[in-house]
Amino acid sequence: MKSLVIIPAYNEEKSIEKTVADIHTNAPDFDYIIVNDCSTDGTRALCEEHHLNVLHLPVNLGIGGAVQTGYAYADKNGYDIAVQFDGDGQHDAAFLQKMQAYLVQEQADMVIGSRFIRKEGFQSSGIRRIGIQYFSNLICFLTGNRITDPTSGMRMANRKVIQLFMESYPKDYPEPESVVTILKKEMKVMEYPVIMRERTEGTSSISPVKSVYYMIKVTLAIFMEKIRRV
Amino acid sequence: MMIKLQIVAGLILLLALLWIVNMIRRRKLELKYALSWMTAIILMLIVDIFPPILSVISYCFGIATPVNTLFLLGFIFSLALLFTLTVIVSRLSDKVRQLSQAAAMNEKEIRELKDMLKNQED
Repeated sequence: MKSLVIIPAYNEEKSIEKTVADIHTNAPDFDYIIVNDCSTDGTRALCEEHHLNVLHLPVNLGIGGAVQTGYAYADKNGYDIAVQFDGDGQHDAAFLQKMQAYLVQEQADMVIGSRFIRKEGFQSSGIRRIGIQYFSNLICFLTGNRITDPTSGMRMANRKVIQLFMESYPKDYPEPESVVTILKKEMKVMEYPVIMRERTEGTSSISPVKSVYYMIKVTLAIFMEKIRRV
Repeated sequence: MMIKLQIVAGLILLLALLWIVNMIRRRKLELKYALSWMTAIILMLIVDIFPPILSVISYCFGIATPVNTLFLLGFIFSLALLFTLTVIVSRLSDKVRQLSQAAAMNEKEIRELKDMLKNQED
């Protein structure tokens, strides 16, 4: 089984090497691809210097477009499984193999790494948790499936989902919305308990000002996804 | 007084139309996207030449002064045009995304081929 780790990177020069090393050591069966989303720092030079496996986007597409590039790469190179993995040191590669075993065992189409099943590790700040809980409830209300961590950026997909995401993927704040897409197609989404760290480098893509936009946009997107024809 | 205004407005409209046609001729403007502007200018010319049209529309909709009908129509037209632009921007941004993704994949392949060639030479 060929598995790929997709690492979207925007200005992650300080942590990208560590992330790749983490995957090499703790998930040696996984290939990786860095999607450099037109970083303005030394990410590009660093990747070239260390001969990392990298795709350089010529213009900044945002997280959605970057991750989608990774899925397109996965599809083109015949990967059976692709997993999104943050380049900022939040995610722990030690969970990748377990997530994959779980996906195969449960015959799931997607496995989300959830912080909130065992409630271990970094649990995000209080206000963010309220937001995450809200999306979890909204998705449960609309689809009948309880996803405890719908905003998790650590998500593993099988071929079916890879192809679906390659076709269409939300541009910004894609996680909760795309979970609804998958659920609406009656695909099986499972969650696996993971421990996340507090980010070591960089800042969240969601600043306080943007969070209002985030809540409104994602709520609308979820409703749109609900009324969209399959 | 009215006739003076009609002539001035008509001239401005004609100039605008000529300008647009010239830009299309010099390929600075895509005919496809200029069409709505050209239609609008021609409609405005018709109204300018036959002002009673405006009075008739005003009467039908119960608008007291014809000039308000003009403003209303102009406003509706502007909104419609802005909306088509939003649609076009959505479509373009999707195309840019697809192009960038394809370019990134190609660039990676070129880089790898170059590396292979270099290794062969060494």
